[in-house]
Amino acid sequence: MSSNYSYYWKKITNLLMFSLTLIATLCAVVPLVLIFYYTISKGVTYLSPDFFISMPKPVGETGGGMANAIAGTLILIGTGGLIGIPVGIMTGIYLSEFGKNKFGFLVRFLTDVLSGVPSIVVGVVVYTMIVIPMKHFSALAGGIALGILMIPTVTRTTEEMIKLVPHTLREAGLALGIPKWKTTLAIVLRTAWKGIATGVLLGLSRAAGETAPLLFTALGNRFWSTSIGQPIASLTVYIYDYAKSPFEDWNQQAWTAALVLILLISILSLLFRIITRSKYKTN
Amino acid sequence: MNFRKIIPALFLMLSISSIASAQLQLNGAGATFPAVIYSKWFDEYKNQTGVQFNYQAIGSGGGIKQVTEGTVDFGASDGPMNEKQLEEAKSKQNTNILHIPTVLGAVVVAYNVPGVSGLNLDGNVLADIYLGKIIKWNDSAIKKLNPKLNLPDKAIVVAHRSDGSGTSFIFTDYLSKVSKEWESKVGKGTSVNWPVGLGGKGNDGVAGLVKQTAGSIGYVELAYAVQNKISYANMKNKAGSFVQASFESVSAAAEGASKKMPSDLRVSITDPDGKNSYPISGFTWLLIYQNMKDQTKAAALVNFLKWAMGKGQSFAAELYYAPLPKSVVKMCEKNISTITANGKKIK
Repeated sequence: MSSNYSYYWKKITNLLMFSLTLIATLCAVVPLVLIFYYTISKGVTYLSPDFFISMPKPVGETGGGMANAIAGTLILIGTGGLIGIPVGIMTGIYLSEFGKNKFGFLVRFLTDVLSGVPSIVVGVVVYTMIVIPMKHFSALAGGIALGILMIPTVTRTTEEMIKLVPHTLREAGLALGIPKWKTTLAIVLRTAWKGIATGVLLGLSRAAGETAPLLFTALGNRFWSTSIGQPIASLTVYIYDYAKSPFEDWNQQAWTAALVLILLISILSLLFRIITRSKYKTN
Repeated sequence: MNFRKIIPALFLMLSISSIASAQLQLNGAGATFPAVIYSKWFDEYKNQTGVQFNYQAIGSGGGIKQVTEGTVDFGASDGPMNEKQLEEAKSKQNTNILHIPTVLGAVVVAYNVPGVSGLNLDGNVLADIYLGKIIKWNDSAIKKLNPKLNLPDKAIVVAHRSDGSGTSFIFTDYLSKVSKEWESKVGKGTSVNWPVGLGGKGNDGVAGLVKQTAGSIGYVELAYAVQNKISYANMKNKAGSFVQASFESVSAAAEGASKKMPSDLRVSITDPDGKNSYPISGFTWLLIYQNMKDQTKAAALVNFLKWAMGKGQSFAAELYYAPLPKSVVKMCEKNISTITANGKKIK
């Protein structure tokens, strides 16, 4: 009897735990589905080629598009990437290959702290250090802020991915008389490349979705500007401005801008997938 | 490695794009109160001349701050900078800041009470609502001003600005003039310590709050109320008549004020004399460096200011702002002619 009892008890516990995990999973998935559902259903009404090629209209007038903001977001994450990705990857390599000492521990700790710093703080710091001395809001300042925000994500992913490379590969390289730097570049990095790319993608996506640091640095621009020395428009700042505005037309456009931003990141992620896949095929 | 292909490609894209756009652009930031007409002006001006004025409506407080730090080419505010702020800006930027009024606007008391329209208010009742002393729409003080209206037994939701705001300055300047209690307890300023209420960022933020909250009251620039179809109250003026904010009633207020305009053009015109004057209105100013470092930018700015004083004024009425009185335009032009680039006059 007692074995039967414990059998049922186990079954019940199993069922209970299973449903708990299922509920938790649903809790995690539902907001995501809702976000997609709302953005698509509300954003699609305004989605037209015009939205991608025309410029915003003066305050309160209906119509217009966000060509400048789409270009602006691409330039901002591009500039941010140029700063954040190399620094992040190199720090990651340092931490996993050479950072098994006190200094490495310190860097790792600081990177973790940096990833927890609210993005608006990064914005204020860049405002004080770049914007005020340069006497100019600029896309460059915005890019630097985004670059700083990318560093921890890229660093930590790179480190973790490189750690996954089997030690035997490194030893094999060293045993053939290849210097350590060459082993790291040609063997370790090559093996971990796919994972690092994921980290880079995460960093870029995070940067693309930031608003707060841009308010202080890239400011915003109602005109077409692609110069990195000038203030620049971005989708996120437009979403912020338009969503809180009292104009219904602008609220609509904010949804569409949100949809475009999601599409942009999806395309980026798809692109990364294709790049990393083709890489593996040729090898 | 794919990076070898990606990074140079990115560099190339960036460098090409930065060469391609060598257009003259001036950057400004500040008040949301005139943002509607400024964005119209700058759009129009760009179509006519190709010069781009990038204006970001971050609030008057922000405008003053950025002008002080020198991060913009011009600022905008509807509360004039005080002596201390002018002093600080001068010491940091080595030049005087000119206040050039561009248009006048009315601050309206917007409300959202289902079933109620044509509300009348006076300064004291308004001050009491914002002091938290009147908390229901059917309060006897409001009823007294509106004997014909059927006011609901509903709580008043007070909305005000959360950011540094020239609209707040005009509004609190008015309340300080009409209510001793307001003057001593709260006072006037671009941001004050509000006794009650919810904060919204920007004129658009407050308009949004009022529009979405039944039973709310808030203050916004006239254009924001009209464009969003929010009702706004008729205000009792000094002469005792209830006046609706309009192009005419603001112009009437400005006419009176233009007679005693100081030479630096910093003036408050709230609670004016005159039977037809709307009591809560004000000038909105562009904050200009008297001496600029960049010759081309200075010339472009002076040209724009001249355009704004002339042709620009004709856009005011359709966007619910009042154009400057002729006498004020003359004074502005005189001040504009004192703008220099590296100490040299602009031709």
